[in-house]
Amino acid sequence: MAMKDKDLERKTADKEKPDVGEYKQNQPAKTAVVEEAPPRPVPSVPPSGPAERRFRQTDLPAHFIERRKHPRINTEQPPAPAPPCFEDYAPIIGKPELDEIRFLARHLRGKTVKMVNSTAVGGGVAEILNRLIPLMSELEIPTRWDVITGGNDFYEVTKGFHNALHGGEFNLTRQIKDIFMSYNEQNRQRMEFTEDLFVIHDPQPVGLIRSKSEKRGRWIWRCHIDLSNPHQGVWDFLKPMVEQYDAAIFSAPAFTRQLSIPQYLFYPCIDPLSEKNKELSDSQIQQVCDDFGIDRSRPIVTQVSRFDRLKDPVGVIEAYKLVKKYVDCQLVLAGGGATDDPEGAVVLQEVMDAAGDDPDVIILNLPPWSALEINALQRASNVIVQKSLKEGFGLTVTEGLWKQKPVVAGAVGGIPTQIIHKLTGVLVHSVEGCAYQIRYLLTHPEFAAQLGRNGREHAKENFLITVNLKRWLLLFQILLGMAKPNTTV
Amino acid sequence: MATAPQLPPTRSRWARAPFYFNSGAHLLRIGREKANNLQELLEAIRTCSETSIFQHTFQTLEEHHFIREGFSNDFSHWAFSSCNEVGLAERLAALDVREFTSIAALRERLAGIIETYLEKNPRAATRQAMEPFYLMASDLVVVPTPYVARNLEEFADGLRKVSIHVIYYHFIDARLRLKLNNNDFSVWLEKELDLGQAADRLNQIDIYTSTLDGVRRSILKIIEAEINRN
Repeated sequence: MAMKDKDLERKTADKEKPDVGEYKQNQPAKTAVVEEAPPRPVPSVPPSGPAERRFRQTDLPAHFIERRKHPRINTEQPPAPAPPCFEDYAPIIGKPELDEIRFLARHLRGKTVKMVNSTAVGGGVAEILNRLIPLMSELEIPTRWDVITGGNDFYEVTKGFHNALHGGEFNLTRQIKDIFMSYNEQNRQRMEFTEDLFVIHDPQPVGLIRSKSEKRGRWIWRCHIDLSNPHQGVWDFLKPMVEQYDAAIFSAPAFTRQLSIPQYLFYPCIDPLSEKNKELSDSQIQQVCDDFGIDRSRPIVTQVSRFDRLKDPVGVIEAYKLVKKYVDCQLVLAGGGATDDPEGAVVLQEVMDAAGDDPDVIILNLPPWSALEINALQRASNVIVQKSLKEGFGLTVTEGLWKQKPVVAGAVGGIPTQIIHKLTGVLVHSVEGCAYQIRYLLTHPEFAAQLGRNGREHAKENFLITVNLKRWLLLFQILLGMAKPNTTV
Repeated sequence: MATAPQLPPTRSRWARAPFYFNSGAHLLRIGREKANNLQELLEAIRTCSETSIFQHTFQTLEEHHFIREGFSNDFSHWAFSSCNEVGLAERLAALDVREFTSIAALRERLAGIIETYLEKNPRAATRQAMEPFYLMASDLVVVPTPYVARNLEEFADGLRKVSIHVIYYHFIDARLRLKLNNNDFSVWLEKELDLGQAADRLNQIDIYTSTLDGVRRSILKIIEAEINRN
């Protein structure tokens, strides 16, 4: 489902800019080439909350009931705030840490980097690059961002590859291989490869590696997807190209394959200064709660995720019902994807059916520009839940950790990397386990607070964009032979 | 009766050589070995690179520097959380990396603990773990900081200002670099300032029951007491 959303956004965006690669290359090359992201496609149906629900008789004040039936949802995309400067991170990570990053960058000054991916908007990769590249540029490492182009046939193939690399069925024919390679070749011919370092993101542009033999530089393949159980044929086709790179980067050890090249671990990251993660005043949090009819005088349990069965929103409602027998709490299920995705709409209906007439289950179908609202909801919560049945890395968990909240999450995908059971959060494997842990945390606030403190430190050390930036600088130095890693042994 | 003139407090004496605060930046490499059960872990520990042993015993202290509770190295944590072998987890956790001056000796000890446990609990050897253990390694790049100490005051000032990565680098990581049961701070105090007792007290700080910030505070307490004594 994620791909459906992403593909929809990409195809819409591509219509607006027929040749992304070309217009990228026309940018001045001195500093980073960062495109202003085109406005997100507005869904044909304005995003809104679910259709009006009927609630059973309740003691809740009328204004809560009114907002729960008709939440005040921002239907217009607010203008994007200016990206932060490197120095803005000092209060968050401390000056010494900032100085260490500066030192690493100083040695790379003047080295040039090219990043290539398959989409300028939508999806986590573009989101990270939009933040990372300006920071590299500010540190005087000119970084260019190019986006490959292709016809519908290419995107059909890459979408099929994506699903196949996640273990799905796929009929890999000669024709499919030819389509993939010919678009890679077209992009390769169009682009120039004069930089010192090339970072190619995900499988779509992997074939650009054919330029390696002709040009200088070090080549890195950044794989953002889980390759633990790939379709063998597709992987056998891609692997010889991957192994021509100088290094590969994965988001979790479990996502890797055996490769002949060095493999590094770069966790995905969040930006603590983004709309979704920046500090908010209490009045801002209160405003959002007022808009959605959330009562801050009673405990709030929140799951933020698309309306997708793999996120198990119905399981979360079942867990809430078990908790509710003991603790008078509210459940907030906030997500998107139900307006422009037919499957999302079906899941949303299932969620509403499961919630029934309970007014304390607050269901919010939010538009994609609701980062500030999501931020406020997470900050207003007493417990954050991410009861996924299958997960990539799970950045909503990271967001909860960063906000110093106790997080209860399914032990799948990259979540166990983030949650050290009972130390930085709680891992669960069932509805009953989820219910018990929520109940325990709501009734043991000191333990919940300790998890929150540890979780924030864990996120600060591992999952912030500044840590990601530092990892890139280290890798660049190592691959360029500027730093000889001392393994300390 | 004339009183003795009040003299301004004297600064501590100058060190024979300054202390340069450095930091260590680590990049994680994903290793080839992975263990699905304790038998496989034992084999992996016997054959993996020294950097992997270092990563999962020393380096984990930096990565989880903010946690006081729980198990002290990745092997013990995995034995507990993924294999549910609490007895083994406790034995592995009791291992103090400060007692080792070589990775070879540490590897031998780890393997010995697991081997002994599996002899007594043979069924635990091949029982599938809930999550595999992936062996990792890290590349370290030394990063200088602007902080330099030529006396105790400057040393205390530097300690207050540097990142916890600096504390880790000089206080924990140093043990293997020096191949001694010691740390950079203690070596400097003893060698350059003749403060052997303070050096010893520093070396006794418990790195397992404190966070790295707690370690920093303990070091500062000793240094400040030394400044006041002088």
